[in-house]
Amino acid sequence: MDKTELAVTAELAHINLKDEEYDSLGRAVDQMIEYFSVMSKVDVEGLEPTTHALLEQNRLRPDELSEMTIADRLVENAPELEGRLIVIPNVL
Amino acid sequence: MAHSESSWIDALSSDDRREQYGRIVRERNEKVHAFLEFDPGRHVSGARSDSAPDAASLRGMPFAVKDNIAVEGFRLSCGSRILEGFTSPYTATAVQHLIDAGAIVVGKTNLDEFGMGSSTENSCYGPTSNPWDATKVAGGSSGGSAAAVAAGMVPFALGSDTGGSVRQPAAFCGVYGLKPTYGSVSRYGLVAYASSLEVIGVASRTVGIAEAVFHAMRGSDMMDQTSMDASAEAVDQAAHEVRTIGVLSGELGLVPAVERAYRLSIERLKKFGYQIREITLPTLEYVVPVYYTIAAAEASANLARFNGIRYGVRPDYAENPDELVRIARDSGFGSEVKLRVLLGTYVLRSGFQDQFYVRAQKIRTAVRNDFARVFNEVDLVLMPVFPTLAFASGGKADALDPFQQKVADRFTSAANLAGLPALSIPVSIEEGLPAGVQLLARSFAEQQLFAVARRMEEEFPAQNPPDFPSKWS
Repeated sequence: MDKTELAVTAELAHINLKDEEYDSLGRAVDQMIEYFSVMSKVDVEGLEPTTHALLEQNRLRPDELSEMTIADRLVENAPELEGRLIVIPNVL
Repeated sequence: MAHSESSWIDALSSDDRREQYGRIVRERNEKVHAFLEFDPGRHVSGARSDSAPDAASLRGMPFAVKDNIAVEGFRLSCGSRILEGFTSPYTATAVQHLIDAGAIVVGKTNLDEFGMGSSTENSCYGPTSNPWDATKVAGGSSGGSAAAVAAGMVPFALGSDTGGSVRQPAAFCGVYGLKPTYGSVSRYGLVAYASSLEVIGVASRTVGIAEAVFHAMRGSDMMDQTSMDASAEAVDQAAHEVRTIGVLSGELGLVPAVERAYRLSIERLKKFGYQIREITLPTLEYVVPVYYTIAAAEASANLARFNGIRYGVRPDYAENPDELVRIARDSGFGSEVKLRVLLGTYVLRSGFQDQFYVRAQKIRTAVRNDFARVFNEVDLVLMPVFPTLAFASGGKADALDPFQQKVADRFTSAANLAGLPALSIPVSIEEGLPAGVQLLARSFAEQQLFAVARRMEEEFPAQNPPDFPSKWS
């Protein structure tokens, strides 16, 4: 995989790679993609993709209101808070 | 206090006993580094419920939980810097069921970061060593859990099995490792890595404990839409006595020690009167690339939430939120996690999705069909767990590099692709290290696994590592 491909992928994954990582991770990714190519040998004619090994249908719950009681505790885990608002750097 | 064995249910039954328990476990943890957090007195309380079967046998028992499964009040690091210091605001359903049955969480165990690895060397908090040989890995990703059980620190410990992560460390450490049927145990509270593959499992000292834990923690859960109860049909089927066991024919690529243990387990099963039949599973050749394609793709989606905004570690300064996210993820994720996230992002990119991800999901259907065919001929399937015994930790002569470790997942990842239950069983000690084997069953047929495992256990129970004599039983 050339460096541009890897850079685009890293961009999509929202990870800033350092220069040394382009080399080491680039090689590791290449090795895996190469390894995946064996899948092209399989005849997949007539096979549907599996997303849940066992369930045939979606499971629904009743359309009823329920309360989320731990909201405050969840917010407390934010690195920087102002009251109940999460602080982040300026967007603009 | 006398050092003769007392019962696990007494270990925390008084202040004195808890203090002694704590001291012994901390001492042992200095050597194996199984626990990331240990506090036997924190006493996570929960409503008592008498609805859990076998509740009596777990009441009072200490247990450990892998650090990617939420327990309120304990940290939830997932072995990663990005969640350093994060304390869980809630408890996973499976853990809550065990608490309701009277068992007591005493700590969180070490793991490969976000469950990605086969050695626990990918933990950002240092590796866990094998209680049988400190120069060897405990296996992964649930290495801490397996080591804690093997070193006599807890009678059982929860882990997660995405591609073998409970069974392989259990085999490396000489204890039982159960991967339940996909969906039989709620994933609510398990930090998601590969949502269609993983399930909460248990490493335990005995088959009886694995069975009790499984029954206590299973059940359809409103908080996990992929969870389900066994159908009446499946329950019926699971009650049938096991008669035939399928074994793979041909060269399996095992090191001699593991080959010996595999053959030995076949001999034992024959001796017990099970009919052994040779079976073939042609799709096994593709399970590893299929597994890693799917796991990496799902991981890239599941780990997108770790961005330093609402929780986790973030850099002190960033120009804008976008930069903040990129820096948080670059400094917070280890290299194996980055590799899988990048791989996953790549195979999901438009233009590549058909060739990789969709194709892998189709081959996965072929794997399911292959097992369905085999289970028409036999009741259970016997397979090795891993081609080697516990390998040396990084940098040493017989260490396996990350790529070699992945390729070796061919025996374990099959059960995850097909959603089937599997149990790894200690078979012998070879060259001073435990050797195990695994049994697979039809979905929701865990009872059949336990039945055969109990017979095996009568012949060869889990052994004590020489440096860690058992204090409680």
